[in-house]
Amino acid sequence: MPAAVVATTVFRELAVQAAEALGTASLPLLVIEHPLGGEPPERVALKAEQALRQLDAALKG
Amino acid sequence: MEPHFSSEVIELEDSLEAVNAYFLERRWADGLPIVPPTPERVVAMLRGVRGEPDEVLGKIPPAWHEATLEKLAINAVMAGCLPEYFPVIVAAVEALLDPAFNLYGVQATTHPVAPLLIVNGPIATAIGMNAGAGAFGPGWRPNATIGRAIRLILVNLGGAWPGAGDMATQGQPSKYTYCIAENEAESPWAPLHVEWGLEPTQSAVTLFGGENPHNVNDHVSQTAAGILTVIADTMATLGSNVKWYFNQSQVLVALGPEHAATIAASGFGKAEVKAFLWEHARLPFGKLKLGGMWGIHDWPDWMNATADDGALLPIVPSPEEIFVIVAGGPGKHSAVIPNCTFSRAVTRPITRLPA
Repeated sequence: MPAAVVATTVFRELAVQAAEALGTASLPLLVIEHPLGGEPPERVALKAEQALRQLDAALKG
Repeated sequence: MEPHFSSEVIELEDSLEAVNAYFLERRWADGLPIVPPTPERVVAMLRGVRGEPDEVLGKIPPAWHEATLEKLAINAVMAGCLPEYFPVIVAAVEALLDPAFNLYGVQATTHPVAPLLIVNGPIATAIGMNAGAGAFGPGWRPNATIGRAIRLILVNLGGAWPGAGDMATQGQPSKYTYCIAENEAESPWAPLHVEWGLEPTQSAVTLFGGENPHNVNDHVSQTAAGILTVIADTMATLGSNVKWYFNQSQVLVALGPEHAATIAASGFGKAEVKAFLWEHARLPFGKLKLGGMWGIHDWPDWMNATADDGALLPIVPSPEEIFVIVAGGPGKHSAVIPNCTFSRAVTRPITRLPA
């Protein structure tokens, strides 16, 4: 089953470090603008679109 | 005969300045100068426990490097430990690697949290740990360096560098070192490790993923109910992580011995202390809706069904999720230590004492 990981920009380094250490470096990483918490619904929706565009590209990749 | 190491042996100029420059530039430390981990010092540290140097205890997240006894010994030397402290460090790492502790979460969260080591049993006295005045503070080599060794292990094997593997927004001073012994001699009750089913004569270490201690000042109460009411008020605050992720919320209460004696004089055992705190450390539903993690919280159905803004809701699922120890010296102060709500306290017996 295809899978992807979502991380905000400041967590990108942590996500890459963990993926490489666990042998899953090829797993698609969808990076969205930080932060995610404390955001109004319209900005969360924009970030969801950001992730979806990357997911679409990764699945077609 | 030269000792054999799995780790790379690096030759550097024979000076503290050169060694520290090399280690600190590579982020192999905590910002403070280290004791150079020479082969002789590492071999001596390894003699402090039973086991082979290449024995793997597990992998330390989020970098997931292997925690061999040799790697732990190197970090223990760097922290300034004596070999007789090493069995405590090995048992602590075993506890950190218990899945219930969720070390990945404790390492990588934005929440200020660090593993607090609580040492119980005869080893605490044998190695000279401080359980009395200033137990959470400076001055005693085993408290200071055992806690520092754990931090160096979390940085060097776990990749917990601030802003990278350790994502704490502000961090906290206890990320340098966080290690105490329980003041068993002045406790009116059974010590922590006995509550976990171990014999009083068994040495043990408990790991608790906690914030810094929050002070509780009560100079006037002369009853258990009085002191515990003030402690309960300190436990239940809107900004604390505890209560939002309800099922894994835990709180450690470190009673100063004078508070513990007053509470015990009212006829309270530990079970009564926990029951009282669970009943009284609560927040009104209407206040919980003001902010914090309201809306992204994880509560059981019975709490989500609350409708009355005045309903007082508990911060932990049961009295058993409140841990009570005695720590410190003279004075009318105690401390409350909330956990990070995705890690559970773990106790391990200290078993690798050398023959």
